[in-house]
Parts: sequence; structure tokens; C-alpha cells
Amino acid sequence: MDVIEALRMSWRSITDHKLRSALTTLGVIIGVAAVIAFVTLGASLQADIVQTLAGDTTDVMYVSAESQTEGEIGVLPSRGQAVFTDRDVDRIRRIDGVENAVPVGGFATAGVAHGDDTVGRQFVTVTTPGYFGVNDQTIVAGRTFRSGQREVVVNQQAARMFRGNVSVGDEITFTRAGSGEELNATVVGIAKSPDRSGRVQSLVGDDRPAIYAPADPYYERTVIAPSTRSEQRVYAQVLVRVDDVERIEAVQGRVYSYLTQRSDARVLKAQGNQFEVLTHEQIVDQIERISATFTAYITGVAVISLVVGAIGIANIILVSVTERTREIGVMKAIGARRRDIIQLFLLEAILLGLLGSAIGSVVGLASGALATAVIGLPLEVRPIWFVVAVVVGLLVGIASGLYPAWSAARTDPIEALRHE
Amino acid sequence: MGDGTPSEDARAEAVVSLTGVYKVYELGQPVPVLDDLSLTLAEGSYTAIMGPSGSGKSTLLNLIGCLDAPTAGIVEIDGRDVTTLSEDERATVRGEKIGFVFQTFNLLPRLSSLENVALPLVFRGVAREERRDRAAELLERVGLEDRMDHRPTELSGGQRQRVAVARALVNRPTIVLADEPTGSLDSETSGQILDLLDRVHAAGNTVLLVTHERTVAERAERIVHVLDGTVESVEELGGRRTASANDRWT
Ligand SMILES: Nc1ncnc2c1ncn2[C@@H]1O[C@H](COP(=O)(O)OP(=O)(O)OP(=O)(O)O)[C@@H](O)[C@H]1O
Ligand SMILES: [Mg+2]
Repeated sequence: MDVIEALRMSWRSITDHKLRSALTTLGVIIGVAAVIAFVTLGASLQADIVQTLAGDTTDVMYVSAESQTEGEIGVLPSRGQAVFTDRDVDRIRRIDGVENAVPVGGFATAGVAHGDDTVGRQFVTVTTPGYFGVNDQTIVAGRTFRSGQREVVVNQQAARMFRGNVSVGDEITFTRAGSGEELNATVVGIAKSPDRSGRVQSLVGDDRPAIYAPADPYYERTVIAPSTRSEQRVYAQVLVRVDDVERIEAVQGRVYSYLTQRSDARVLKAQGNQFEVLTHEQIVDQIERISATFTAYITGVAVISLVVGAIGIANIILVSVTERTREIGVMKAIGARRRDIIQLFLLEAILLGLLGSAIGSVVGLASGALATAVIGLPLEVRPIWFVVAVVVGLLVGIASGLYPAWSAARTDPIEALRHE
Repeated sequence: MGDGTPSEDARAEAVVSLTGVYKVYELGQPVPVLDDLSLTLAEGSYTAIMGPSGSGKSTLLNLIGCLDAPTAGIVEIDGRDVTTLSEDERATVRGEKIGFVFQTFNLLPRLSSLENVALPLVFRGVAREERRDRAAELLERVGLEDRMDHRPTELSGGQRQRVAVARALVNRPTIVLADEPTGSLDSETSGQILDLLDRVHAAGNTVLLVTHERTVAERAERIVHVLDGTVESVEELGGRRTASANDRWT
């Protein structure tokens, strides 16, 4: 039987039950749409990361003590346990190959006031004056703060955050969250964000409004350092810059052995926490791992959805076979062989599968495009996904149509003709 | 079936021949539905089968139509034994040599008249153009040239049966089998269908018709009376006509 004619007949059977067909293909639509959307998102994310890496200086490491929850990114200053003492930072700075190391801590505020404008819930990063050099942040106006002075530096995003833009020399007041203590400071400098654009930057927090303050006098978090038995400040993170990018792995090893063997942090950190010494590259790796895990998870969900979709199609084809028992008998009586009947019903299932995957692809691409637009990623689309989607639709159709088609072909024509 | 066959010979070539056919259904115990039945149908003949309900008429027709195989005995179509064929081989024989007309028309509801008539040719792999031409030609002959694109639900019972007759003829069958073709029609429409079958016969086709009605059976050249699965008697309706056939058909 010629395929065109079989297609026409199968298509007519589908379009004669439009709603039923639409509902039947829903499982496949959702499955394919989910995969396409998330694969688009994942690829766009990775494309962005690749761009980021290409133009990046990777001579900075992030040191923290993290709880070992799978797939977390331990680079945000508020994350991790505050275990690194001033002495630890000092020792890390003196490790061979380290150019500079600065502590990064912080505290939450209930609000920051500039003139008569107040911004709520702004986090204040606490560090030392060397921070801007280590983190590649140029001071575009004024200078860096001095330790022991009531001075702060804000980044450009923070400067624009207030109604009247902040400029050097302005006074700001922040209210410490919890205690409600009011602290005054003079803005002495405005910093630019580092030149690492894109995703890493936003994950590290560099593109958000930031206020940087000297640990002395603003940071209050202290412990009795085990090594010196004196009271010292403790920080959640240390930012380390190496002399030579080529030797970053060796330095990473030395920092790690210092931490695990002689540091205060080693004693202070909680049992379950582990030291992380991460380079940019490793952070990117982590992000990719997370995105891969996520994609695998979504793919799993999608596969389930496709299986359900296939069962739905199989079910509807079985219904269709039963409804058309008499027609099958007639077709057999006028010369249809088993393969003709199989072809008809298999084509119907395949058409439903393809229809589902086509609609799913469009829906998936649209949602992927929307999501990337919202997040601000470059849209990455690969034609191969659609080839895969079509193949998946084909396979789902075949898998779900095979049994019903076979059972239709087995129908005894006499019985079928007698069927009401 | 060569065209050069000398027809109207005393012993015209038998296109269908059944010899000692048994059909037994197992229903707890074996029930013989056809019981040592023998019958031959000559080429170009018009035969009616009569008999009480349950006597095995439809079963007989199904065997000749290759929808079923006998439990024992031989069924030959065009001199070929069809009893040992596989299911698909039987389907091919049906597609090439048999034309069915059913009591309940049995048209495919989603296909137009034209597509219904052309369908047997689809299964035989005939090219689209040719299918259309042939189906259109037959619809014209049964007087439905203005109903070609109608679906069965848009046709009257008589019109549907005319489409079915056209479909039965589209493959130029060796034999046309009609199982109570007028059973669902009123007497006037029945008359039209019977006239149509007369013309089909007059055009040289072999026709086998099952009916309960004597008046219907009398349209044929002979009546085979079936009782309890075997041929009880054969009634030759002598001096049969060339009658109502208007030669539009040939
Ligand atoms: N598949 C089957 N299984 C068991 N018995 C069957 C089967 N098909 C037919 N029969 C029996 O065979 C007998 C003959 O049936 P058939 O349909 O040939 O009768 P018929 O002469 O066409 O009757 P009617 O005039 O009512 O159409 C009936 O008794 C029927 O019950
Ligand atoms: Mg019957």
C-alpha cells in the first residue's frame, strides 16, 4: 500500500478526533518541551561561561570551609563557616607563590542611609585595603579605605543605588541587623567591578551593589585563636592572588596543606565542613557539573513524561483499533494484507509521536528563549536537538504503535465484519 | 481468466469449484456447519443461494471469498486451490479475484465515495491516477458521478450500496459475492440494486448472491437451495433473459 495514501488515511483518523489526539500527544509535548527548554538553557549557560573564561585572568583563588552538600558553590562571602583568623590570612599571604591574601567577611544591615534615602537589607563586605588589588577592582574615584578608620568604598552599582548618587566624601549610615547599632562612615572611594563579565561574576556576587568596609573597626566577629590564645577576627572566606597563573595548582596545594595542617581554621571548623580552595576554573567546572546534574535530572523527568506519553498514544491507538474493528474487517475483505493494516495504525501512532515532538520542540524553544532572555544569557540553539526530537517522536510513535498495530493486523476478518 | 475463452459453451469454464467441503466449528462439541458440500460456478453465471437461517449460506460465501478456510475439502478459484494458502496470500486473492457486497454496505466512514471505491486498488499497489480514473468510471456507471466526494453518512442506503457495488467491481473480480445485498433496503431501492446486479451480470461478471427472498433469487439463472450445510437442490430458472441489461455497462 502506498505510503502517501496510508498517511492520508492515518492523518484523517487523527484530525477526525482533534481533541482526543491533542490530549494524547500532551505527554510527548511536555517531555520534549522540557528537554529542549533545559538543554537550551544549559547550552546558553555554558556558552556564556566559555566566553567568560576566554577573557579572564584566573590568578585568584577562593578559600572557604564548606559543608559538603553536593553541588554547592562555595564562593559567596556569606557562605561557609567563619573559621579563618587574622593569623591564618597572614600565614597564607606568606606562602610561597602567593602575591597577596585578604580576608572576606561581612555583616547584614537593616538598612543603609545616604542623605534622606535609605536602602534596606544591604550586605556589607568586610575586608582589608588590599582587597581591591586582589580582586581586580579598580578604584575609579577617590582611594581605598584605611584600616582603623570609619571609611568605606562602594562599587558603582551601590553608588547608583541611592536616589542621589553617592560620591566621594559623602557620609553614609548603616544599621547593623540584630543589634540595631548605627554606624557612620565616609565614602572614600568608588570601585569598579572586576573585568570578568557574565555568569561567574554574578555568581561570585561582583555585579551586585556592594559596600566594602575595613574589618577594623567594623567587624565584630572574633574567637580565641587556638594558636596564639589571643582574641582574633574570623572570616568565612579568604581571597588569594598568586604571583604566577602557571603555578596556581602548586600554590593551591600549599594553601590546602597549610589549612589542614597548621591553621587555626583547622581547629575551628565544624566536623562536617571541609576546606575548599577553588580557582575560577574550578568554579566554572562546578557550575558545569551542577548544570549537567540538573540537565540529567530534567532529562530523567522528561523520559518519564515520554514513557507516559507513549503509553497514552498506545492506549488511544488501541481504542482506535477497537473502534475500527469493523473497518479493519472490511479492509481485509477487499484485499488488505497484514502489513497494510500494520502500516495504517503504526503511521497513526508515528504521526501522533511526531506531532507531539514538533509541538514540544516549538514550546521548548520558546520557553528556553524566554528564560535566557530573562536571565540575560546569549541564546544558544543547536539544530541537532531538533533532529533528536524528531527521532524521539518517531521512536515513541513506533514503540507505542507496534503492539496496537500488530493486534489490529491479527484481527480475523469474519469476526471483524460481524462486529457491531 | 483469459478473454478469449469461448463462453456460453455447454460446459462453460468453472471459475469457482467446491468439492466435498466441510466446515466444522468447535463449540464444546464439533458442529458441522458445512457438510460435504460441492458446488461449481461457471464463468459469467448468476447464482442465488437460498436456505433457512443458520444453514451455512454466509459460511459458504466466506469460503468462496477466501475470508476463511474449510476444515476439509477443496475450494478452487480460477482453477487454483486456495485452501492451503496463508492468510496474506488469501488477502491477495481477495484483492485480485473477489468483489464483496455486504448487507450493511461496509463502506469506510472517513473516506469519500471515490476513495472507498478506489481502496481495493490501493492495496494492490495501483498508481494513484489510475485508481482515481477507474473509481470515477465505476461511480459513473452506478449513477453516482455527482456524489464522488460525499462521505457515506451523506448518502442514502441505496446510494451507499451502489458505492459498494462499484467498489466490488473496481478490481475486475473473477466473482462478485453479495450476501443479502438488499437486506437493509426498502423494496424500491432493492429493485434498483438488483437491476444494477443484473447489469453487472450482463456485462459478463460471475455473480453469487445470498438471499432469503424468492423474488430476489429469481433474478438469477439458477437457485441453489442449501439445507443443514449441504446443497439440497439446484433449481434452474430456464429461459433466462438477456433482459434488463442496457448496454451502457459493457
Ligand atoms: N465463528 C463461529 N463459531 C461457531 N459457530 C459459528 C461461527 N460462525 C457461524 N457459526 C454457526 O454456523 C451456522 C451457520 O452460520 P451462517 O452465518 O453461515 O448462517 P446463514 O445461513 O448465513 O444464516 P443467516 O441466513 O441467518 O445469515 C450457524 O449455526 C452459526 O451459529
Ligand atoms: Mg448469513
